[in-house]
Amino acid sequence: MTSEPRAFLALDIGAATTAAALIGRVGGRWRLIGSLSMPAGADLDAVIAVLGDRVVTADPDLAAALDIRQGSATDLPRLEVASQPPRRLAVIAASERSLAPLVATASRSGWRVVPASVESTEPLAMTTLLLDRSVTGVLVGAGDPPGADERRGLGELAALVAAAATRRPDLTVILGGGMAEHQGAFGDVATRMGEVMLGPAAERGTPGGPLADLLIELAFPPDDARRSLAAGAMAIAEILDRRVHVVEVGFNAGTRAAAAPSVGGITPLVDLAIVPAAALAPADPDDAAVDRVGQWSTWGADRHRLRDRLRELRIAPWADATGDGVTLRMAAARAALGRLSDATPEWAERAPADLVIATGGAWAVATAPSVSLALMDVLRRPGAGQFALDHARILAPLGSIPDADERRTMIADLIDDLLAPLGTVVTPAGLRSGRSAGSVVVHGANGSTRLDLMPGGLALIDLPPGTSAVAEFRFRDAVRLGTRGRHFAIDVTGGLGGLVVDMRDVPLRLPDRADLRGELLESWQAAVASGRNA
Amino acid sequence: MSESNVRLVPARQLISSPVDAVFGLRPGDRALVAAGDSVVVGAPIAERLRDARLDELDVPIADGTRAGSRWAGTPRRGDERRDGGELVFDWHGRWRVATGDIADPLESPFAGIVREVRPGTGITIRAAGRGIRGVVALGSATRGRLQAGSDGELRSGGLDVGSAGTILVVGSRVGAETLTRARAMGVRGVVVAGLSSKERRDFLASEARQRAALHRLPTFAVLVLDGATRRPLAGAVQAVLGALSGHEVAIVTDPPMLVFDLPQLVIPDPPIDLVRIRSGSLAGREGRFIRAIGPRRFTGGVHLEAGLVHLPDGTTAAVPIGDLERFV
Repeated sequence: MTSEPRAFLALDIGAATTAAALIGRVGGRWRLIGSLSMPAGADLDAVIAVLGDRVVTADPDLAAALDIRQGSATDLPRLEVASQPPRRLAVIAASERSLAPLVATASRSGWRVVPASVESTEPLAMTTLLLDRSVTGVLVGAGDPPGADERRGLGELAALVAAAATRRPDLTVILGGGMAEHQGAFGDVATRMGEVMLGPAAERGTPGGPLADLLIELAFPPDDARRSLAAGAMAIAEILDRRVHVVEVGFNAGTRAAAAPSVGGITPLVDLAIVPAAALAPADPDDAAVDRVGQWSTWGADRHRLRDRLRELRIAPWADATGDGVTLRMAAARAALGRLSDATPEWAERAPADLVIATGGAWAVATAPSVSLALMDVLRRPGAGQFALDHARILAPLGSIPDADERRTMIADLIDDLLAPLGTVVTPAGLRSGRSAGSVVVHGANGSTRLDLMPGGLALIDLPPGTSAVAEFRFRDAVRLGTRGRHFAIDVTGGLGGLVVDMRDVPLRLPDRADLRGELLESWQAAVASGRNA
Repeated sequence: MSESNVRLVPARQLISSPVDAVFGLRPGDRALVAAGDSVVVGAPIAERLRDARLDELDVPIADGTRAGSRWAGTPRRGDERRDGGELVFDWHGRWRVATGDIADPLESPFAGIVREVRPGTGITIRAAGRGIRGVVALGSATRGRLQAGSDGELRSGGLDVGSAGTILVVGSRVGAETLTRARAMGVRGVVVAGLSSKERRDFLASEARQRAALHRLPTFAVLVLDGATRRPLAGAVQAVLGALSGHEVAIVTDPPMLVFDLPQLVIPDPPIDLVRIRSGSLAGREGRFIRAIGPRRFTGGVHLEAGLVHLPDGTTAAVPIGDLERFV
């Protein structure tokens, strides 16, 4: 934006959802005036027009102050991001051993990965893979220096990939680690349409790192919605001086962005993982994907019917979003969160986030307590943290503002409107089952509330949005809650779900029998929906 | 009815034009056409190898010897003359050549112009006609006379040999047993609204067995227009299929589409406010969109943007906009 508008539109154009938000300057700061989410096939100008007209109808004076009239919202300046569909990357190595870290890295870097190694794939099949027009890039990697099991096959592998690259000049080629020595096989790379790049070797056990950063840069343009989440998370971390974790589950991928502010001269941390396998509904759900959704489903459908419903969810993600369609979506979202967690194992080693922000189309039709419960069920870490929802889907558009200072100023203005507080979740670990674990006393502005803590359940304390309190925990035995101890006093803030003390297992253990599992899941869901303990 | 309001309903294209269909090739397959060629219905466009293999040969170096080019002749070492193949890659002076013993012809199911030929990847042909897009097509590209079948679920007993050579429109749903029986009876294809995952898997397994057989039946394809659950075909689609009944049409798999070449067929635009309810308790019904009514609470405790729909029986229903679709 080059001029000084009094209002603008923040647009997040997803593969399944179009989210439009109207942001206006009110009382000397930017405020969220209204927002609207619609299925992606809806006409964007129609969505904006309806949003603008609702603002005019709801508050004509405010609309007039922002110079918005009936039908004029489509003329407002736009801050727009779009989430691009992930492309396919062939990941190739000389041995299965060297292939594994490459696949782990590429899988969380925004690419749909098709793996192949010399040990497991015939050269003809490998060439067929590289010539497949749906494959747009190839990562050929080796250790640095190459291991003994790789050296013998690298030359022939380079010849095979170079021959395919000759036939497909559009193919992007990344030579990782020791494969860089074979760059000569690709001839004059300067004249190729697709790039031939040298990258670092993948590190075993740490799928992030420089290679992951390079792959994300190649996978998406800088203004991609998912990439923008990292910058948005960093701005919030700096504004709130908190460790922030953004979790997005969308139609084509799941995303994790972690940001921690600079402390004592230490460089601020920002990390991004984009996992196409963590999409809400996989395009072609295999048995493992269906079973994973079935694990969280209270629906009781057999595998075939569940697969049908997942296919329908993929074809029309906004359809059938009522009744048992709600529980299907939340089961699919939990399964996607699980896949996201599996693809980023190193995040479990980090300090838990102070603030977890949920965003993405998966939550568009869910109630706030359901979102909170889904996050609690899957992303389980001992500790205490706040949960919030990017309800208007404006974090990505704001994160795409190129200038860091401007971005921070804008997000600072909007932070209270951006985040719908879901509440505070306290998750102690190491509770002994079968007897009272202790008690919690919540000291709030209107007095104190005492609650007995029963292991295996959820304790819910009503704490409305905008309020804060001190929760004083006294456990019978030592537990892990950030640190190990028996007495804790934690500052908690309210939200739509209040304060939740989650005394279930970490990680969560569910019964094997489907009927018992369904009953348990339903009881937890009913508890957070009604605000009573379970 | 505000036109702006109805445009909140996700739009689905009724007729696609132009249609660029891709016929996949693998290393060793031989393209018989070049970019810019005109092809007629049934024209051979490629030979596909059944069981391709990679031979390691001493190929004499000549101009044009490069990966992807065809080679035929005698290798430098050995006296066995080869049928030829596709050069894949050169390693230490010996070429790996993709070749095979049996090749099947691939014919164009429609007339058109070849847009692109990429050996080992595919042939793109722009069809002379238009198309109706589906969500998935299983099997291989095929052609036949379109014939209306049952309105509901077609069962295997409902097939007769008189349908040989046709593409059947079977309505809401079809089973794998019916599909395999249809293929065995010479039916060329099936157009259906929904195909469940189980039937899809069973049919694909049957197709795989068919592909492995030495003697093959004619091409056969299943075009799924809507999804995986039972629902009737949309009225606008039914109207077009009704008009195409008795005419030759083709099914292609990439993109999944029914292709027809009837330039004289006028397909009127559907009314702008005509919407179809694709899921929920009113799934399959169609009506007139009255207006968007903002967020409403629905079963399951969710608040969704809704629209008022006037149904043909005179009733009006508030339906989540996500459950609606309109054709453009």
